[in-house]
Amino acid sequence: MKNISNELRKTILFACTALAVGVTLPSSAATAQVPDLNGVWKWGACEDGTNFGCMILEEDDELLTDRAKAYRDAIDETAQPKYDCAPMSIPHMWTDPYSHQIEQFEDRVVFTYGKDDVVRTAWLENHGHKPPAHNEFLYTGYSVGRYEGDALIVETTHFSFDPQGLNADFKLASSTQKKVTERYTRDGEGLKLTVSTEDQFMLKEPWVYSVRSERDPEPLALPWNCDLGASRQILKLLPSDYPNDAKVTRIPQ
Amino acid sequence: MKFFKLLSAGLGLGLLIQTAFAHHSTNGIYDETKVDELTGVVKEWRFINPHPSLIITVTDAAGQAHDWDVSYGGSAVVHLSRRGFKADSFKSGDTIKVSGNMALVEDSYGLLAKGDPTHADGSPIIIRP
Repeated sequence: MKNISNELRKTILFACTALAVGVTLPSSAATAQVPDLNGVWKWGACEDGTNFGCMILEEDDELLTDRAKAYRDAIDETAQPKYDCAPMSIPHMWTDPYSHQIEQFEDRVVFTYGKDDVVRTAWLENHGHKPPAHNEFLYTGYSVGRYEGDALIVETTHFSFDPQGLNADFKLASSTQKKVTERYTRDGEGLKLTVSTEDQFMLKEPWVYSVRSERDPEPLALPWNCDLGASRQILKLLPSDYPNDAKVTRIPQ
Repeated sequence: MKFFKLLSAGLGLGLLIQTAFAHHSTNGIYDETKVDELTGVVKEWRFINPHPSLIITVTDAAGQAHDWDVSYGGSAVVHLSRRGFKADSFKSGDTIKVSGNMALVEDSYGLLAKGDPTHADGSPIIIRP
């Protein structure tokens, strides 16, 4: 009886262990595939060897639709929201030479940028997050994320119309139809980001580029605390393209 | 601008690499074909985002004083900090020299700085880390 009891005990112990392993294994396996993206990362460099060139959509870029060019030509520099401390949205934000921070949580990934106090949250799928209403549009869009293999995939839609959404220097706007897909993977000690931007109103085809970042030992220099006066200082040097229109008094003053 | 006693320093463009990512585009705003030098008295140093700026009072050949806005283009506090600039780098009343591209709009008194300002005797103000 004693042996049987021992055998039974062993069997029960084995079964319990197997059950425990059975429960934890999928979780461990899933965890093992989640890349460690946490930390502060420097401004990325283009993988095609163009330094930062791949992140710039040129003034007459062949990807631009006629509509995008027409908007560019119609709007004047002084009307750009950047002179009101408005932040850049993605993908144009990445052309700025600032570091960014990634924080991975169980149900979300938070991106904090070293400029404009921009914080984006990518809501991980299957965690019950409520999506925005179909008519809700946001400056930095609505982002959902998922892990695929060794990558974090973030898809962002629901952007508001952004007069500087593709390039603030060349007045290249983005529409509410902009969709940005980010793919983050580790590349040795570095971080690789591949960005694909679609906007059928403004782009003939997706605009895709890849950048690689190194870790930044410095913390982000935040808060940004954009000063309206400093943001608008250069406006006195910019003549209006529409001199017959009444002079604009910007708000808030 | 012609009223100012300005020294064409002839330092050439690209003296120092300036952050090129302004978004507050400087294209067509400054005369980038030449570099001039101003000597003036510091009125205000604004070490703030998005773009720090320096206000210096320059007296022209006719004895009239004008405030010049010295811009560092697209550079923000974090960029200038890494070049050695600090919130107290310039004090009101200091006489300094600064080189750069002048604004194209007549009598707008704007300068896009090229290189670091110096004391009046040419000694450095900014100590690079």
